[in-house]
Amino acid sequence: MRELDRLGVVVRYEFLKQYRRRRFYGATVVVVLAVVLSAAMCEGWDLLARMGLPARLLEEKGAELFALWVSSMSALALLAAVFFSGDVLASEFERGTGYLLFPNPVGRGTLVLGKYLACLLATVLVLGAGFLLSALLTLAFYGRVPLGMAGSFGVTLAIAVFVNGMAFAFSSALKGGTGATLATLLTYMVLFSTVSTGLSHAGHEPWFMPDRASDAMASTYGISFEEAFGEMVGGGQAMGRMVRASGDPVVASLLLTGYGMGLLGFSVWRFRRREMA
Amino acid sequence: MKEPIVMEGLTKRYGGFLALDGLSLRVGEGEKVALLGPNGAGKTTALKLLCGLLRPSAGRAWLAGFDVVEEREEAVARVGVMVETPEFYSFLTPEETLRYLGLLRGMDGGRLEERIEEVLELVGLGERRRTRIGSFSRGMKQRLALAQALLHDPPILLLDEPSSGLDPGGMLEFRRILREAGKRKTVLLASHLLTEVSHLCGRVAILHRGRLVAHRSLSSLRRKYGSLEKAYLGLTGGAV
Repeated sequence: MRELDRLGVVVRYEFLKQYRRRRFYGATVVVVLAVVLSAAMCEGWDLLARMGLPARLLEEKGAELFALWVSSMSALALLAAVFFSGDVLASEFERGTGYLLFPNPVGRGTLVLGKYLACLLATVLVLGAGFLLSALLTLAFYGRVPLGMAGSFGVTLAIAVFVNGMAFAFSSALKGGTGATLATLLTYMVLFSTVSTGLSHAGHEPWFMPDRASDAMASTYGISFEEAFGEMVGGGQAMGRMVRASGDPVVASLLLTGYGMGLLGFSVWRFRRREMA
Repeated sequence: MKEPIVMEGLTKRYGGFLALDGLSLRVGEGEKVALLGPNGAGKTTALKLLCGLLRPSAGRAWLAGFDVVEEREEAVARVGVMVETPEFYSFLTPEETLRYLGLLRGMDGGRLEERIEEVLELVGLGERRRTRIGSFSRGMKQRLALAQALLHDPPILLLDEPSSGLDPGGMLEFRRILREAGKRKTVLLASHLLTEVSHLCGRVAILHRGRLVAHRSLSSLRRKYGSLEKAYLGLTGGAV
């Protein structure tokens, strides 16, 4: 049997495990609710205008701004990715299921890759549901779906590659699944933004930071952030610098995918060395 | 290398702790050998080294002629393993679990489905084949662990305390299943249950503090010491 066939088997059954977990449905429900509520706020309370976005921009790029606002709620699915991936490797050791899985003629690298692809697939399905709903709502309210939404989805996929890679890296190195999940969340939400903000204040554009690269999903709509938010923050120091740092979507996607692959490589290396003591 | 299981100077250290100290042991084809010893004697460590869950600090081992480190996948392909308290993926059913493991072992569709049915019937889980494992008792998990070890009809079985945690009725039934399933197979069974060992094995290897202190047939141990219990207590200094 070829290793590629075994990889297919691992992906199929690891995805089945994810699909049967309550958190998969929980994540889907949360994303759908977030999209619907943000669309309702946007249209019901005229939220974008109240936020102080320039009237001319709202008139010209109303559909794009709405799609950006609503679909960005789908990014919540990226947090779900952490819950899909955080315990996947660690739990084999923590719960003892590795005693069942490891004495089989399959390489540890194949197991990691198969599990990773299964988690990525679960993430993409939840993300896809959010983006599809966002597209349908944009179509319903504005009569068209901006092309930038496809680009935005592409950047979001790159973020998913990165976030899953980071969760796998922690999961391969730490003893418990809960620790790996928390470490991923704290690194992504606290550590990265702290470093990025620090770099911004020091006058260095943190374009290479994963959280800044994530901002590039907005750039795909052809909206100038300085134009959109410049007045809103009154030229505020931090926001102004962050706005300028919003990067090129292609560069951001390549960067995030590269980081994700690097972290996945680390996970394979670490998982191969780990013993079932 | 004729014997299906060969260990030569197998050693495992955890930091400063020597868990297994130069174990050399050969198990011939069709033999049933028990690794007997008190808790912490190195029985489970020896089995984990054999099936690639641990890497030896020194020494080598072969299963069916394949080096367990250099040719791990070839070696484990010929072995059915049941190590420690079995844990399963709670969201899968026994049927799905066995299908997953069978496919990883390269079994094809028709034969795999046939074997799944056979082994689930053998261990008495035929009627629970589509129940999620999350709701299973420990005894049911033990049975399923044995089913997965037998699924690919391996010539070698490595079993670690296979009936621990079962009630007396469950233990008796489990031993009956093991005797039946273990026919024509080479079995290395780690246990500290002397009754289990005397029911299932013809030879005994007694480990104490990581070292092999005896490797003889059950009958010769009984002749020399009077009973297996006395042999065990005498060779392990009364440790339990």
